[in-house]
Amino acid sequence: MRYIKIYLTCVRVAFSQAAAYRTDFILGNIITLLSNILFPLVTVVIYANGAEFPEWSMWEVLLIQSVFSMSTGMSAMLTQGILWTTMDHIREGSFEVVLLKPLSPLFYLTAVNFSTGSLGLFTGGLVLTIVSASNTGADAGGIPVFLLLFISGTAVLCGLDLVMAAITFKWVGNSRIPEIFDSIAEFGKYPLGIFPKPLRIFAAFVIPVAVVGFFPASALLGRLEWYMLVAVIPCALFLAFGIWLYDRMIKRYEGVGG
Amino acid sequence: MSDIITVKNLTKTYTTYRRDSGFAAALKSFFKREKVTVNAVDDISFSIEKGTVCGILGPNGAGKSTTIKMLCGALFPTSGSIDVLGFSPARDRAKYVRRIGAVFGQKSQLIFDIPPIDSFAMNKAIYGITDADYKKRLDEMTGLFDVGDVIHKPTRVLSLGERMKCEFIMSMLHSPEIVFLDEPTIGLDVIAKNKIREVISEMNRNGTTFILTTHDLEDVEQLADNVIIINHGRKVFDDTLGSLRTTLGSKKMIDLTLSKPFAGSEINGVPVIAGEDELHVSLEVDTEQRSITEFLTSLANFSDITDISVRSLPMDMIITRIYTE
Repeated sequence: MRYIKIYLTCVRVAFSQAAAYRTDFILGNIITLLSNILFPLVTVVIYANGAEFPEWSMWEVLLIQSVFSMSTGMSAMLTQGILWTTMDHIREGSFEVVLLKPLSPLFYLTAVNFSTGSLGLFTGGLVLTIVSASNTGADAGGIPVFLLLFISGTAVLCGLDLVMAAITFKWVGNSRIPEIFDSIAEFGKYPLGIFPKPLRIFAAFVIPVAVVGFFPASALLGRLEWYMLVAVIPCALFLAFGIWLYDRMIKRYEGVGG
Repeated sequence: MSDIITVKNLTKTYTTYRRDSGFAAALKSFFKREKVTVNAVDDISFSIEKGTVCGILGPNGAGKSTTIKMLCGALFPTSGSIDVLGFSPARDRAKYVRRIGAVFGQKSQLIFDIPPIDSFAMNKAIYGITDADYKKRLDEMTGLFDVGDVIHKPTRVLSLGERMKCEFIMSMLHSPEIVFLDEPTIGLDVIAKNKIREVISEMNRNGTTFILTTHDLEDVEQLADNVIIINHGRKVFDDTLGSLRTTLGSKKMIDLTLSKPFAGSEINGVPVIAGEDELHVSLEVDTEQRSITEFLTSLANFSDITDISVRSLPMDMIITRIYTE
């Protein structure tokens, strides 16, 4: 109960903070929403020109991509800020202001870094998911499994954020590392069948980014396969690893000269 | 009074990298970096009594801030032990920090874009302060610092003095038993410094223990009961402020204003140590070797004096000598 109260207070503060620059807040959300809508347009253009992903209709691919956007928006709201805040604190040697709070540093940073700007991304993803699903004859019976896989996919993205944030304790100023992980996450935006087998195994079980978009969309489309459910395990492990690594790396914090 | 902090053989070692200046050195260090081990804090032990104000002094890079950070639980010691309020700060961090407060003069705990009152509300939730306690404490602290209106303006528009006062409120809302202050008056004007010192004194009278690092010796002279001096990571002094004043022996400073320029190196056997110009000279008299009365009597023959004052050896001179010894 105490933690819920703290989280809600921090979210309120995050909204006050975002609202301090109203134009920036509104523009930021509009830009995120537009770029989110523009990305699926590439898929529309591909299909409009006669090309396609084998065995996947345009609306089905759009569904994968909108679920991916929704998951990205959700993880960004929860943990993306931790990466940049940790990076700033380590570089400036001010992480002690986090450690002075009588809370788990990870919980505190999750709460204070609630990203209001990612609401646009999540909302855009949600709207596109509903539109795409209604054009594919998606099965409402698949919603419970969809939710399980959606949460698992979001856990993978949160785990990636935490791993990257943890790395900054050792390698200060590695601002390009997120690009590598973003590239890996891209695999989740497409039907897994288009990739070679080793890559499919990697994206399903090693860094399970296929669970971010492809697997939950498959559940809605009635195209679920048993191995997709097994992938929930590496997702949970991946998030647990991110949390463990971050907590472990805090002990390496050394500050800077005062 | 009982000890509230006990530190034994505390050591903090860092590994850092050294490189020379210039492009060639930068290129060389890209492939092979020279590791350097730094003993930021080197085997120091001390204890601090409950209800006192302890000043930790030392030149830049002496290890003061590292010591404070370890006392706050933000850094793990390399070796040695710390006991504060019965806790091992880094190991028991989450429980321990609930009972302490900290103000870092160069690191803000306030949220930059919103008014301090919103940051305070966040701390209220984090520390689980009841509505009644929060209101009482906030009224008390804003009254003491005279910042009733200031807390409703965005932090980014506040002056440094206003911001520091709000930093104090932020770190004291939960009524901590010990407050760590790392250079709390850095960059502040005289009025803001005095206000902060007044509040520290007031809270100390009410039982709060303060540990303070500073370069401003007035902070120490006005606030501290005890002083610890750290240099090159080692403790070089640990005693009362009164003892610090006499650590260099019983010495007095005599300032003379003269009617004619004086360019000599001594007056009646006492060396001239400083002077604004040739009409103002200062002398350091060791009263264990020569009484003040005797020396002043001897000055009667020195007919050029228009003014004379006798004072204790300035604190900055004492500290400088301890640093350089």
